[in-house]
Amino acid sequence: MNLDQATRRRFLQASSLGVGSVALSGWMGVLANRAQAAAPNGKKPKSCILIWSEGGVSHKDTLDLKPDSKGAGDFKPIKTSASGIEISEHLPKLATHMHEGVIVRSMSTPEGAHARARYHLHTGYREGQGGLTYPSLGAIAASELGSEKAAMPNFVSIGGRSFGSGFLGPKYQPILVQDATKGVEDLKAQVSDKQFSNRTGLLEEMEKAFYHDYQTGAAVDHKTNYDRAVKLMHSKEAKAFDVSAEPAASKTKYGSGKFADGVLMARRLVEVGVPFVEVTLGGWDTHLDNFEKVKTLSTQIDNSVSALLTDLKERGLLETTLVIWMGEFGRTPNINTKGTKPGRDHYPKAWSLAMFGGGLKGGRVVGKTDAEGATVTDHPVKTGDFLATVCEVLGIDHTKENEAVSGRPIKIVDKGNVPFTKDVM
Amino acid sequence: MKTLRVFTLAVFSALAMIGSSLPAADVKADLKAQRIKAKEEAAKKAADEAKKVEEAKKVNDAKAAELAKKAAADAKKTVSRPSALQDAPAVAKMIDSQIDARLKKDNLPVSPIGTDADFLRRVYLDITGVIPQYEKAKAFLDDKSTNKREKLIDELLSDSHYGRKQADIWGAKLFTVDSDNRFVQKEPFTDWLKDQFNQNTPWNEFVSAIVTATGPVDENPAVTYFLSNRSIDKLTDTTGQHFLGVRINCAQCHNHPFTSTKQTEYWGLAAFYSKVVPQRPKNAVMGGDNTKLTVTEGASKSRTKEFFPESAKTVAPKFFGGDEPKLSGAEPYRPALAKWLTSAENPYFAKAMVNRTWAQLFGNGIVDPVDDMIDKNKPSHPELFEELTAKFTASGFDVKYLIKCITLTQAYQRTSKHSPSNKGDAQLYSHMNVKMMSGEELFDSLAVITGLVSPAPEVKRPGMKYGNGGPRASFVTFFLAGADEVKSTTYEAGIPQALKLMNSKIAGNPAALKQFGTGKPADIFEKMYITTLARRPTSAEIQKLSTHLAKASSPTEGYSDILWALLNSSEFSMVR
Repeated sequence: MNLDQATRRRFLQASSLGVGSVALSGWMGVLANRAQAAAPNGKKPKSCILIWSEGGVSHKDTLDLKPDSKGAGDFKPIKTSASGIEISEHLPKLATHMHEGVIVRSMSTPEGAHARARYHLHTGYREGQGGLTYPSLGAIAASELGSEKAAMPNFVSIGGRSFGSGFLGPKYQPILVQDATKGVEDLKAQVSDKQFSNRTGLLEEMEKAFYHDYQTGAAVDHKTNYDRAVKLMHSKEAKAFDVSAEPAASKTKYGSGKFADGVLMARRLVEVGVPFVEVTLGGWDTHLDNFEKVKTLSTQIDNSVSALLTDLKERGLLETTLVIWMGEFGRTPNINTKGTKPGRDHYPKAWSLAMFGGGLKGGRVVGKTDAEGATVTDHPVKTGDFLATVCEVLGIDHTKENEAVSGRPIKIVDKGNVPFTKDVM
Repeated sequence: MKTLRVFTLAVFSALAMIGSSLPAADVKADLKAQRIKAKEEAAKKAADEAKKVEEAKKVNDAKAAELAKKAAADAKKTVSRPSALQDAPAVAKMIDSQIDARLKKDNLPVSPIGTDADFLRRVYLDITGVIPQYEKAKAFLDDKSTNKREKLIDELLSDSHYGRKQADIWGAKLFTVDSDNRFVQKEPFTDWLKDQFNQNTPWNEFVSAIVTATGPVDENPAVTYFLSNRSIDKLTDTTGQHFLGVRINCAQCHNHPFTSTKQTEYWGLAAFYSKVVPQRPKNAVMGGDNTKLTVTEGASKSRTKEFFPESAKTVAPKFFGGDEPKLSGAEPYRPALAKWLTSAENPYFAKAMVNRTWAQLFGNGIVDPVDDMIDKNKPSHPELFEELTAKFTASGFDVKYLIKCITLTQAYQRTSKHSPSNKGDAQLYSHMNVKMMSGEELFDSLAVITGLVSPAPEVKRPGMKYGNGGPRASFVTFFLAGADEVKSTTYEAGIPQALKLMNSKIAGNPAALKQFGTGKPADIFEKMYITTLARRPTSAEIQKLSTHLAKASSPTEGYSDILWALLNSSEFSMVR
């Protein structure tokens, strides 16, 4: 029989046991661990921040403007820091980072309903396909780039529902932060530090006999997991979850509100070595009042994401942090006729997303749509093509097979998908 | 596995998107939803908050009374029928002789029978899905009669929690929530499953009722199976995986790589479901009422949208690995399927249930994984498997009898402490496997102790929009995402779960301390241990606890630390 993943993980962990259970390793420890993890090829492991625009971003009003088309809308294109690339006038700060980024204007995907499309874009698979639940990109990054020993969680999802770890198991589920302004749930003990440490000491004492008598793998995993959770509670890195600790000056440029705080938290998390953070900004389902809404939302993205890119660069982290901005599909090239303030409807056939940093060669555009922004005319990109590219940029082998139920080998990205990494790196 | 399908789908959908009716329908729904949503959400939020506060209060105040009331109502509502068969002890002997023979052959020394406390906690969790309450536990530990283990097994199989535990397990298998079925109500179905298990409906009749279910869901909750598995391939996969113990889904798109299963076999089995018409659930966010959804079987191939995947092949109904029955086009197909599926002659049906039940109790199937009963995956005890299956079939597919036969065995009752020489054994039963509590078991057990998480809601809420919510459901989701694919012998929780148990109000609830009284420390320690671990503390443990208590700044603090540590211990969340 094959070793299941849990068993394999356990073997890897076994060496770290026997150390005092509440051993606190600080920030240096985490960095050292992550550096170790990457040692084989000598490269620094990368991180990824996914800015998820829930509802579907109107590509014609953000990243792929067609001012001369029928359904053009009111927004004007502006020049960016990358010659020849223009984006919406409501993304002026992001425009100054375009030389660090890549726009994909030829996304073409099969799902036109929100829930199924979200699942597809997060996992690369169709919901229900083959009777399995697939892991989302965050869980894949957590299992491939994360360290088992790190105090910090390997996947954090801020401000929204996320897709979890599927058949990879609960270990790679994200820590959910509902409201970035409030921080992470249950991170603080309900009692004083002193009493908490009495408690963990007592727990360890009380468990000794059980560990001794029932030397089961599950008990070892239980202990390891508790050790990590306690370590996290006491770690310096956990302060990354507290955005109020950020100096006011650097906080302001992200804008205000939950989303801005979420993006700021993402930066703080990446700084302490978290490999994958997803931040959700809802409200993009603009069937009605598209232009007013997209304008406001664009400003939020513009402030927060540009501040993020600036900060990452200042800290020397932009090269190793891939920032993705996307939603589940685009929106119709034509403006609908609903009400006095019309909008745009779901449109998966041709749409855009953007990526920054992560070692990309910036200032590039992948793919093209026709004059209406309705059909991909050059270099169509399927979800799998895109996810395979993201994997390659992050240093993940997308052809690797994970073991699903009954030992079924499932590739991280299904075969038949072609990354376009060489065009952007 | 399905590259071809995905690729063609992508192309097709992209083409079809122009003027397709699917997005249009979506758009309409979304529009309406948007208008109503904003208003509703604000009102709902306020109401929800108020409700939460009130619920929390209620739970705290009248927790004990409520629990008792619910248990009484529950007991009244459900008819529990015991197994009528008397020869379970003889079958248990047969099982033991087979297991012992194999152990002897492999020269594996056998661990001794576990203590009463081990048995008590294990059998409570395995049969009823919850730890014993203090009084019950103490009474059992102090009972001097020799047949008390068998008596307890009988008592627990008659407890309505037995049906609920099975409903939790089977509900998750037969109704996996996805975006197509998220508005379909799950609770009527799990209630129905619970009643069937409690009534000990013979497994063949039980499965027939599911597979042939027709009508509106409020009259026949079994139709939920078709409302939740909204396509012919999902139905076929579930039938194969859960009722036959074989994963046949690979054969959907290509011939199975490990078995002789051909694509035509797959679609032949699927064809029995080809005339089913499950009504489309309404959008519950917009107040859609899904309490009366109907499932029918038409006279010809179903035209329900998305019922057939692109890979579907149209072939005549054919029994899996068997014949093509003669069916006229107009007659319903499913009764023929049910008859073949649940027949005593079907080589998979009874075996699949025996193997699943075995795995529930031992943490490991006779064939493992349990849904991979293919030729290459040999059973650990082939003769035992055959004989137990024969007994189960001859009993008239009596599930309670099957559980009694297994739980009566020495093998089941062995300690889960291994000896140095049988340490590596997980499949030959020289000692018991330690299992993890399921999310439901953890929730319900914590509810018994802390009173802060409310127990499974038994009250039906008719106007409920979602029907799949409640604190228990969200706790389970939080603790065991993807649990169906995880073995009960592996610990799969992560940091968020540990944080929740350590730092939320669950384990740190000072009110929970009250039940342990104000007596002598030794008495309080004993009550705490029996309540949480169903055993008395050892003298070494009493020593440690006393030391801690003496150090603590107040007795309350000391005791609350001890309860906290007990609830966070691995021994608590494991079935030893």
